[in-house]
Amino acid sequence: MTTIEEITPVFREVFDDDSINLTRSMTADDVEEWDSLTHMNLVIALELKFKIKFALGELQTLKNVGEMLDLINRKLSR
Amino acid sequence: MSLDIIRDNQFNIGHICTRQQCELGLGDKVAMRWVSPHFERQDYTFNDMERLTNRFANVLSGLGIGAGEVLFTFLPKSTEQFTAFLGSLKARCITGTLFSNFGEDALLDRLGDSGARLVVTKKSLYRKIERIRSQLPALKVVILTDVSEHISENVLSWERLLAVASDEFATVVTSADTPSVLHYTSGSTGKPKGVLHRHRSVLHQNRTTREVFGLQPDDLFWCTADQGWVTGTSYGIIGPWSMGVTQVHFAGGYSAQHWFELIQKEQITVWYTAPTALRMLMREDGALFGQFDLSSLKAVFSVGEPLNPEVIAWGSDKLGKAIFDTWFQTETGAIMIANRPGLSIQPGSMGKPLAGIDPGILADDGAELADGEHGNLCLRAGWDSMFITYLNNGSAYASKFKDGWYYTGDMAWRDASGYYWFLGRSDDVINTSGHLVSPFEVESALLELPEVAESGVIGAPDDLLFEKVVAYVNFRAGTEFTPELELKIRLHIANRLSSVAIPQEVIAVESVPKNKSGKIMRRVLKARYLGLDAGDISTLEE
Repeated sequence: MTTIEEITPVFREVFDDDSINLTRSMTADDVEEWDSLTHMNLVIALELKFKIKFALGELQTLKNVGEMLDLINRKLSR
Repeated sequence: MSLDIIRDNQFNIGHICTRQQCELGLGDKVAMRWVSPHFERQDYTFNDMERLTNRFANVLSGLGIGAGEVLFTFLPKSTEQFTAFLGSLKARCITGTLFSNFGEDALLDRLGDSGARLVVTKKSLYRKIERIRSQLPALKVVILTDVSEHISENVLSWERLLAVASDEFATVVTSADTPSVLHYTSGSTGKPKGVLHRHRSVLHQNRTTREVFGLQPDDLFWCTADQGWVTGTSYGIIGPWSMGVTQVHFAGGYSAQHWFELIQKEQITVWYTAPTALRMLMREDGALFGQFDLSSLKAVFSVGEPLNPEVIAWGSDKLGKAIFDTWFQTETGAIMIANRPGLSIQPGSMGKPLAGIDPGILADDGAELADGEHGNLCLRAGWDSMFITYLNNGSAYASKFKDGWYYTGDMAWRDASGYYWFLGRSDDVINTSGHLVSPFEVESALLELPEVAESGVIGAPDDLLFEKVVAYVNFRAGTEFTPELELKIRLHIANRLSSVAIPQEVIAVESVPKNKSGKIMRRVLKARYLGLDAGDISTLEE
């Protein structure tokens, strides 16, 4: 299973939207519920899912889902 | 009272913001410059807005939705928001706006209480309404803005409906007292209350747009507020368009890079935003600001929470701009007290009252207090944009007025120069990023979780949000408070209420302090959080 396939259900649960189909170019502007407050929910959910930790602000600088995937993969050394 | 925008006794906000501007010769002027998150630009002239809003008013007539009936928009930033809002006001409907991050409980409270007949939304948001629709017997029609065909006989396509509607609509002469806009606001107890306004509000919204922001015909105004918020309707729609000023609306979310790019590219002249956004900008790399030419900007204004002096200093230093704080509430409908050009800014103060607004600082017994004394911030009732009731809750409305004064629920003091200074709320309502959150609603939602036995929710100071939601939770026996459970709590609150109500801290406790009547003693929790003395705890349950 690819990382994007693994994080899709996380996004769907966090943003309560089963219709979310992630692509690398997606940003917060493409997901209705994705704001600065729900972003923290996403961070926590991803940390729990992959048993990794994000440094403070590490996810704030990412431009899109693709960069988020790359960061997760780096932390997982994939 | 200024009546110079009222012609032939027509107070209708929808008419004044569209048709009247066309009649004044501004038909070909850009009313709205719509900028997508990817910076695609689309201009709508006042003629366009007149045609589109007429079409929507005709759609409503065709659906049998008429004067006095309630409809809501439940949309993210989108052009349809503006068409639906003004079109429904032309049809003399009562028009409410809902934040797109509202969850099912928040929607049910508002749509249920108001007896809403119609909702305009998007397919992706409709799923939330679908789940509660069986509990909304009055809801007749849902219109989806992003489907090209009707889904069923009562889930309809915006595109299809507007395509066949007429461009012509004769707005009935609408009296000043006709109900207009509905915004729900949270209190410290009970369900959210529907703050109902009337078309007369346009007088003060227009006046304050001129007198506070100083807008001129050639200005380009950008109000970042979501239309779910009173600022987003009073100043993101009504005020500027009632005086024929072009507004920029940006569909993207917060991004320092994008925001400054927008100001530079579109040559925005007056910007109205919120302290939380400004504080987020303050945290950005200082080098960023030097990359943009912000010379078009004449002034920056702020609303929602008190603006700390540090932000004003930052604005002057990094942006080279004065930042003016303004104060108003959902109930006041428009700005009451403000720092503004022409007054020297007193950093940290609310500013001075606008013409025609008569505030007072009152003791709990109603006695007027002198300069320097702390008390209840009240407003002499009768200003043009004053709300006319809490929908279906006349007793709550009456409780806000005494001896001709409206009690705002804010505590403040006035200095010898006439500037007002905010002290805090007189109740437990939490002001987080300018949004009022009811601790009662969060506590109620928490109790829906099987792991939660009881909870007490407070607002605690926060450098970014002004106040953050903190939940003290007594978990049921055998429940372990794990990171997974904390995430479950956060998601539950986001999905039932809204993202602004998410507890930023969840603290597990053995019990929640209550008085002998069983009322949660939030002030004890707040004192505990702040490490302060809890004061009189004689009524605390043993």
